Amino acid sequence: MRKAIEVKDFSFRYRNALSSALKRVSFAVEKGSFFCIIGANGAGKSTLCNALVGLVPHYFVGKSKGLVQIEGVDVAKTTIAELSKTIGLVFQNPFNQLSYTAGTVAEELAFGLGNYGVPREIMHEKVLQVAHLMHLEELLDKNPLDLSGGQVQRVAFGSAFIMEPSILVLDECTAQLDPLGSEEIFNIVKDLNSNGVTVVMVDHDMERVAQYADQVMVMRMGKVVALGTPREVFTDPRTSDWGIDVPDYVKLGRGLQSAGFDLAELPIDESHAVQTIRGLL
Amino acid sequence: MSGPASVAIPDSPLARMHPIAKIVGICSLGLSTIAWPDFTLGLFFILVLFLTAATAHELRPFAKIMLGFGIPVTIMLLFIQGCYSPKNTKTILDLGFAKMGLEGSLYAAKIVVTLMVFLGSFYLTTKTTYMGRLVAALSQVGVPSKVGYLILASLNVVPQMQRRITVIEQSQHSRGLETGGNIISRARAFIPLLGPVVLSSLTDSQERGMTLETRGFGIKGIRQTSYIEVQWRRADTLFTACITLLFLLVLAGSILSGMGIVPLGIQWGGRA
Repeated sequence: MRKAIEVKDFSFRYRNALSSALKRVSFAVEKGSFFCIIGANGAGKSTLCNALVGLVPHYFVGKSKGLVQIEGVDVAKTTIAELSKTIGLVFQNPFNQLSYTAGTVAEELAFGLGNYGVPREIMHEKVLQVAHLMHLEELLDKNPLDLSGGQVQRVAFGSAFIMEPSILVLDECTAQLDPLGSEEIFNIVKDLNSNGVTVVMVDHDMERVAQYADQVMVMRMGKVVALGTPREVFTDPRTSDWGIDVPDYVKLGRGLQSAGFDLAELPIDESHAVQTIRGLL
Repeated sequence: MSGPASVAIPDSPLARMHPIAKIVGICSLGLSTIAWPDFTLGLFFILVLFLTAATAHELRPFAKIMLGFGIPVTIMLLFIQGCYSPKNTKTILDLGFAKMGLEGSLYAAKIVVTLMVFLGSFYLTTKTTYMGRLVAALSQVGVPSKVGYLILASLNVVPQMQRRITVIEQSQHSRGLETGGNIISRARAFIPLLGPVVLSSLTDSQERGMTLETRGFGIKGIRQTSYIEVQWRRADTLFTACITLLFLLVLAGSILSGMGIVPLGIQWGGRA
């Protein structure tokens, strides 16, 4: 399998910062995989996302070392706009995703397509498709600045994936959505992923990470402290040292183990937990 | 269509007009007023603009802005130029403390009508044009997308800052800062808001620049397209041709008048 993302010994220190935000980070993401990054606040997750889309080092000034390659292209040697053809980012704060020039949601969704010179007819078609998918049909004619946080988050998400990037980076992009809305977005992300889009997701919802991720990377104080499948990461006894929570299903399994039940393996998601409990009954 | 339903632009021939035709209109009217030897043509244009405002369902706000600007500026300029212009040779009014001269007054009237023609035509254009259409029209004629972005972003700065002020004001108010009361206490409450508003606006513009690039803005070698379709109709061609012809005729007439070949404008007497 070819690599969508390759990061080798990458370090970055913001200008005037006392310590590096990223310290010799190395990992690779296979094409079409679902890759999750987890870690406590200040672990360097958002800086890493910015490095993947080229904002580091092109936008955020600082000292960087090492290599970040997106589909074989060195991020440091291209422009953010060029990279945006391949990789899309959905920001933590959806209001940062808006262009602030569009008078309507439809224009906001189409902004990126316009930059790529997509013909108007195709633009209209795609806007309607995305609006339907994101439940934004009723809002297409509204000003994006008049929407609620959750609605703006949908617009932000829609405006990122309308450009059909082959890699999508989601930096806690559902923080302002209700659980149902969040679930809907992740179903779309999962669909995109099964259609070949590589997904890199930063999230604090460990149940979701366990459910969707092919690979999980744990970061702590700018370093990669663990990298593996959700099972390898969440069942590792050092999780509390890394400053991360584990899915409730893992806690349930550990509880059962300490109550004397003999489990072949710890459950990490709902289906595993159901199977495990059935096995015990 | 003149704009999306959420943007309140009443339908009218002016609202349907192509934004570039409107820009040509502003330039032609304004430049014709400048070229004409006296203020009469400008006065006629102001009258036409009032009629246009009425057909565009904008008469009340238009009258408000024109009179609100026109009356004080006219009084001020008439006083300054009329009473103290060195060109004054013929007195038309003796105020006791000063004498109002014809030449200065005519000059003041010319300045006022010129300003009002530009102001009125620009105001009507902005009130009857959805800004997205204007930018789409500009990019259609080859204006770089960055210029279009600058126009839209500049127009959005004020409402954004207003929103930001409201949020910061509410936040300060919830923490005990008195934001109401008389004008002095309001002014006193407003001063601490300025720092956060200016700083957060700067941060916002930095983040916006970042966002734009991640959405392909400024990509090289691609001609940008627009979501909004702006059609150039036969009526736009007719309007543009007529208004340009009007300007050319006024310009030619003014040159001939200046050379003394064709008498143009009213002979008011005096030196002007």
